[in-house]
Amino acid sequence: MSKVLLEVEDLHTFFFTRRGVVKAVDGISFYVREGETFGLVGESACGKTVTALSILRLLPEPAGRIVAGKVVFDGTNLLELDKKEMRAYRGREISMILQDPMTSLNPVYSIGDQIAEAVRMRHDLPDNMVEPEVISALRLLKIPSPETILGEYPFQMSGGMRQRVVGAIAMSCRPRLLIADEPTTALDATIQAQYLALFKDVQKKTNISIIFITHDFGVVANMCHRVGVMYAGKIVETATTSELFKAPKHPYTVAMMDSVPRLDHKDKRLYSIKGQPPSLMNLPPGCRFYPRCSVATDVCRKREPHQVEISDGHSVSCWRVQ
Amino acid sequence: MADVLLEGCDLTKHYPIKKGFLQRTVGWVRAVDGISFTIERGKTLSLVGESGAGKTTTAKAVLLQEKLTSGSILFEGRDLRKFSRSQLAREYRPSLGSVQQNPWSSMNPRMRVRDIVAEPLVVNTKKSKGQIRSRVVELLEQVGLRADHVDQYPHEFSGGQRQRIAVARALALNPSLVILDEPVSALDVSIRAQIMNLLKDLQTKSNLSYLVIAHNLATVRYMSHTVAIMYLGQIVEYGGAEELFKRPLHPYTKALISASLLRLPEDEEKGRKQIILSGEMPSPLNPPPGCRFHTRCTEAASTCSQEAPPLRKVGANHYVACLRF
Amino acid sequence: MATTKLMGLDKVSGVKRPKSIFLNLTFIIPAVVLLVAMIMAIFAPLLAPYPYDQIALTDRLMPPAFMEGGSTAHILGTDLVGRDILSRLIYGAQISLSVALMVIVITAGVGTALGIVAGYLGGRTDGFLMRVTDISLAFPAILIALLFAATIGPGYWTVVIAISMLGWAPYARLIRGEALKLRETDFVAQARIIGTSPVRIMVRHIFPNIINPLIIMSTLAVGMVILTEAVLSYLGAGIPPPAASWGNMVNDGRSLLDVAWWISTFPGVAIGLVVMAGNFMGDWLRDKLDPRLRQI
Repeated sequence: MSKVLLEVEDLHTFFFTRRGVVKAVDGISFYVREGETFGLVGESACGKTVTALSILRLLPEPAGRIVAGKVVFDGTNLLELDKKEMRAYRGREISMILQDPMTSLNPVYSIGDQIAEAVRMRHDLPDNMVEPEVISALRLLKIPSPETILGEYPFQMSGGMRQRVVGAIAMSCRPRLLIADEPTTALDATIQAQYLALFKDVQKKTNISIIFITHDFGVVANMCHRVGVMYAGKIVETATTSELFKAPKHPYTVAMMDSVPRLDHKDKRLYSIKGQPPSLMNLPPGCRFYPRCSVATDVCRKREPHQVEISDGHSVSCWRVQ
Repeated sequence: MADVLLEGCDLTKHYPIKKGFLQRTVGWVRAVDGISFTIERGKTLSLVGESGAGKTTTAKAVLLQEKLTSGSILFEGRDLRKFSRSQLAREYRPSLGSVQQNPWSSMNPRMRVRDIVAEPLVVNTKKSKGQIRSRVVELLEQVGLRADHVDQYPHEFSGGQRQRIAVARALALNPSLVILDEPVSALDVSIRAQIMNLLKDLQTKSNLSYLVIAHNLATVRYMSHTVAIMYLGQIVEYGGAEELFKRPLHPYTKALISASLLRLPEDEEKGRKQIILSGEMPSPLNPPPGCRFHTRCTEAASTCSQEAPPLRKVGANHYVACLRF
Repeated sequence: MATTKLMGLDKVSGVKRPKSIFLNLTFIIPAVVLLVAMIMAIFAPLLAPYPYDQIALTDRLMPPAFMEGGSTAHILGTDLVGRDILSRLIYGAQISLSVALMVIVITAGVGTALGIVAGYLGGRTDGFLMRVTDISLAFPAILIALLFAATIGPGYWTVVIAISMLGWAPYARLIRGEALKLRETDFVAQARIIGTSPVRIMVRHIFPNIINPLIIMSTLAVGMVILTEAVLSYLGAGIPPPAASWGNMVNDGRSLLDVAWWISTFPGVAIGLVVMAGNFMGDWLRDKLDPRLRQI
């Protein structure tokens, strides 16, 4: 088994606002191996994106702060680096793709210029080496006729192509870890399928590790080797993808899978999870999923469950499973 | 014969592209290009396709927000073109309700829930204030909200609750047809099932017809009785939901289904192939000749680029537009 | 699981921000300033120690009471012809504030109506209205006001109408832009689907959503109007003497700044305070009017 590249340990990221403390990430741990795709799946405001920003230390200051935990990348705790040292990791070692291809490119620069900027910033390349580097990044993302596309501007391209360019920028510095935050949510179904297949191919070629953030269990199944299911700032279940889909254990995971309609058979009636996720400013005592859980007992209301490994690589935070 | 509520016959919408000082028309965007469908009473028809396929334009035409270039809409058997303005306002429009995709932007942030839900009643009926108030409460309860929510503003609600308010507003005039434009895609996954189940319950209870616009095939399968798969302004496959998902015939439908099926890592190991289309949907300004899908089709033959396939009947309620079939 | 200490968390959550006091001050101070100005304006005859036009040549250019040579009889000193500055300041509030209020009501009303109509209806209506607006903006403002004053003679209403003729266009521009944006929103589309009439859409759905920029623009206009009135006064087309307005008082003292700074300074400070109070008040009002911000 390949070695662990990134290990997040008991990470707590809080936002200190005028109205109170928002516990966006409240003690999560996971790791990503080299060449592996780890999925973080959950609904909006469950802490997925904040986790990503915490790894890159790009939280909106001063409200957002990492109050506890470790982020160990290849043996170095990123949280102990000073700002300048941290900058050296961004882009070169760890890169990120954001959700919206419409806004993550600068509309006034050509595609070539935008990738070249990333290339120049990260490698101290002589000028004549920049363009081949840019073109190889475009080739890696299978962007057709890269030489002609260099001079084009974002508005001349479709959403799918733009997201490939965003991918090319992220990959141009040859990072070892890529964080992809809902990169396909804004894309059409067939384009999404293209993009996911493309990324699997990129991973095979470069052996890059990927943290894939999404709300879509279908995308997780397709893309990830292992998955962490997040709910209200915690990872409630971690397992390999096959294991998670075959034998989900946490009531939240089970409920989520039952509440998504299936394409391969007609559902009689979907299970619907009652209520809505709790406010991260005012979390219920005990298990966070307790108010919406259909199998909750008294202990769930009073005490927070801790994570227990029930089989190799499969951990669950639920009193009912322990 | 089934009880047909609304029928679209050969609907076409072409937008002119104007250029220059004199605003001369230099081309046409063929947003919708000759589509036909029927919506039965108490049933759901879904229009499925990627952005730019013409779904939204079709829905807008039904809602009278877009003037058709040609084609006709029959409502309870009567051609809308023969309706006078006041007839449309009196007899057609109140039979329609509409729920939009984004519950965050579909409500005036300065209005209270009571006024938002009451707006269709105020505009279209001469009910007294008291009657309107009690109707609003009744509607809110119907969608699972409480009467004491009436004085709150939209921002005080979660996305799911807002979508319930939107449904209440759509039902205010007791419509027979509700147009649902991506009704759950902006909501959180755990909330979607609540809203879909609510919509299905309301349909059964009030014998409502739905025209659903969606891109998520699993949602469509759960919600619909009939499905129309659209590509570049045309319907490429049309039929009963069960039949269509079990026996998809058009290569585009097959690709869409393949892209949406749950695919686990072991499927890959076992060598189960996913159909991945190359390229993107061409511009509706200049659609390819022949079959519009032939540029991306995995099964295309040489004739496909020359001859446009008609939508042919292939089963009891199953139509497909493909020369290869 | 590692037991990591929560670094500094208790410290941070223990910090109480002086938020309530701060919020209240941003409201109380401008409110007090505006209230004082309004009381001065309304009760001028009762509050002023002298009539605004009482000339006392023996007491001319008397400095404020706290300076050498000053007297408690004229707390803020006197001007070139011995009129009491305090009294003129109090009477001046009457004219300056009412001119500002009148102009703002007229310009905001006209500008908003035209802006909404142009923005929502679009097309030719929009084109026509915006060309008229452009022309209005292109005209040399002061010149028009002077011409206007010359034809119908200087006076209160001349000033109000002259400034209003020039002030509506920026409103129309701003509001049209907002209406254009709102026209494309989902909730306006929804209103149209329901069958709402254009007039009702403009009144019920567009107008309430442009109140924020309207208020900000209006509070900023307070200063603009008072200053424009001052310029007009200087050019002889403003409020005719001996009536006092803050604008013509500033101008009265302009040439005497080195010998009698108080003549211009006190009305100048009054203008500054009212303009600033207006801006703060606008901010506060905007937060209060927006239901989304109301609870914070």
